[in-house]
Amino acid sequence: MHSQAMHFQARAGVQVANKGLQKALEKAKPLFVGKRAKGIAGLAEDGLGFEELRSTCEAIRRRVVDDLDVWLEIFEERARASGAEVLWARDGDEIRRHVIDIARRHGVTKAVKSKSMLSEEARLNEALSAAGIRPVETDLGEYIIQLAGEAPSHIIAPAVHKTIGEVEALFAKEHGRPAETRTSADIPAMAREARAVLRQHFLSAEMGISGANFLIAESGSAALVTNEGNGRMVTTLPRVHVVITGIEKIVPTLEDFATLMRLLPRSATGQSISNYVSLLTGTRGANETEGPEKTVFILVDNGRAALAGSDFSDMLRCIRCGACMNHCPVYFSLGGHAYGWVYPGPMGSVLTPLYTGIENALDLPHASTGCNQCGSVCPVNIPLPALMHRLREIQDERGLRPRHERFALRAWGWLAARPGLYRLLTRRAARYLRWLADDSGRIRVLGLAPGWSDGRDLPAPPGQTFHELYAARKRA
Amino acid sequence: MRLALYVTCLVDLMRPAIGFASLRLLEEAGCEVVVPPGQTCCGQPAWSTGNRPLARDLAKKAIAELEGYDYVVIPSGSCSDQIRNVYPQLLADDPAWAARAQAVAACSYELSCFLKDVLQAEVVPGEFAGSVTYHDSCKGLRGLGIKAQPRALLGKVRGLMLAEMPDCEECCGFGGAFAVRFGDVSTAIVDRKCEAIAAVGADAVVGGDLGCLLNIEGRLRRRGDNRTQVLHLAEVLAGLAPQ
Repeated sequence: MHSQAMHFQARAGVQVANKGLQKALEKAKPLFVGKRAKGIAGLAEDGLGFEELRSTCEAIRRRVVDDLDVWLEIFEERARASGAEVLWARDGDEIRRHVIDIARRHGVTKAVKSKSMLSEEARLNEALSAAGIRPVETDLGEYIIQLAGEAPSHIIAPAVHKTIGEVEALFAKEHGRPAETRTSADIPAMAREARAVLRQHFLSAEMGISGANFLIAESGSAALVTNEGNGRMVTTLPRVHVVITGIEKIVPTLEDFATLMRLLPRSATGQSISNYVSLLTGTRGANETEGPEKTVFILVDNGRAALAGSDFSDMLRCIRCGACMNHCPVYFSLGGHAYGWVYPGPMGSVLTPLYTGIENALDLPHASTGCNQCGSVCPVNIPLPALMHRLREIQDERGLRPRHERFALRAWGWLAARPGLYRLLTRRAARYLRWLADDSGRIRVLGLAPGWSDGRDLPAPPGQTFHELYAARKRA
Repeated sequence: MRLALYVTCLVDLMRPAIGFASLRLLEEAGCEVVVPPGQTCCGQPAWSTGNRPLARDLAKKAIAELEGYDYVVIPSGSCSDQIRNVYPQLLADDPAWAARAQAVAACSYELSCFLKDVLQAEVVPGEFAGSVTYHDSCKGLRGLGIKAQPRALLGKVRGLMLAEMPDCEECCGFGGAFAVRFGDVSTAIVDRKCEAIAAVGADAVVGGDLGCLLNIEGRLRRRGDNRTQVLHLAEVLAGLAPQ
């Protein structure tokens, strides 16, 4: 996906004003938040506490990130031993070349896909189509946005920005039938309709493309966590299965995987376990009747290796649950598209600048109130606000902030270091602000900060500063 | 007990009454309160925009002014978070300042924490005839664990009824420069806060951070709510809320 992150501010304004989107988000937010809260509360039934468990999960992920190369070598060796092929990709370009090459070697004309954010990083669908291979998204949300010609707006609920009416219009057009008025009671029927269409694709595709939630080093397996069952079809029905995943997705052992699974579904959807959990190892065995004849892992860097050992290595722990965006007040005011690249919300505001260039996403690290609702729910304890803050510092160090902003900050800092002058000017400012106010004590237009006064009044100060009044009180 | 009151730059300029309410609460509790005269700003705007050198300079200035007291009390969760949590990390690699930063951080308290956790105040002077709902500001809540203290203290205000709004821990959308830089996004967030306030229908919304309160009050008034009072915790506890 070409990054549009530099246009965040303008896109954010458009999305805030988009009524359909706002309706969809308003509906989704309490569901996400409520389900996770219930899921996390349910840990107590198993005698587990969230804080201890997330420390354990953090430790598992830290262990991997600290010695990523070692774990990758182990994974590669075990995966090859089980019959899979392991390829490496430095960037999106190499992912595309690998996949198209595999497809050509195996005579593939159609590829069914289960959700993969990495294929979004690589703009894989575009490349497959250009190479004459038809990509068919089979995750229901992905299917919807593929019909709409859009990108996912959420990492686990790609079509969360769509209203049911919009989905109905897409289905009617694609499935060649008249559109009807739909309510949420019709969702199962609509899902059945999509399933009937997708079933034909599962049976006719020669290649399945999936991501992986985890790569398990000790067994050389890919772990897939899904709710619709499409992932299982994608990975077992076609002759060829390609797993595209980031190099940071490794966990050492099956035991570690089981521990992380305590928190991944709960953090994402509130489920104690997802409907399907698949462990995919190697290819179809000699006595087996199902499974792919060929399995290829494409392990992708695309900016990840550079984070190891950097100020941002914490980010490599991310297990893509979506809890940070589900609890983000900014995300739920905008939806995911405003963020401009593959990953939205707080994790996207960290990853997009790191993977696409800090200078190409200047707004994103600032697109946060610093509330830390994200950090407080993260199942692997990633200090997201601190990482966004570090990116702000790098912008400042590299002189990437606008000149007027730097000048204003420096002038203010100079003043704040000189109490005498500061008092003089704040006294003036207090009087000026008082003068700006109307009879009800409100300032309705603030020329210095229109961003503030476009949406709200500024309650006016009384006209004298605290220090001024306090000095007078002491004299009296 | 001799303590320094750090009124914060926002209270100084925008709502001096909060400073005087804090003074009253602390003096009535028997503390000797000093307002260090050179205080300006804790440096949070520099810190949050990423200007570390400037944030460091202002941190050193504040530390030098706030040293030597038994306690430092601040009527703001976010400024307290800056002094308690940020100063030590900001100056950790500066041998001349690291210990000083830690010492000031260790004795600095947000007002409600100081009253409740340190003084263990059992009575407060305030009276309030009506219902209030409390907004948990983010830095106080998630940075300092301020949750029970303000509610316990509000419970001691004669006549006051506390009614919790839905999602009281949700951010109000202020975020300092955020509210100016992304005004429209901030407005969308504070709209949800306004709806939560309307849903509970209290006479006043109370909080511990003036930034959030200016944001909430500004939006409530723009939406046409001229009835709901927006008050700082100190004003209510001290009985200095305009009623």
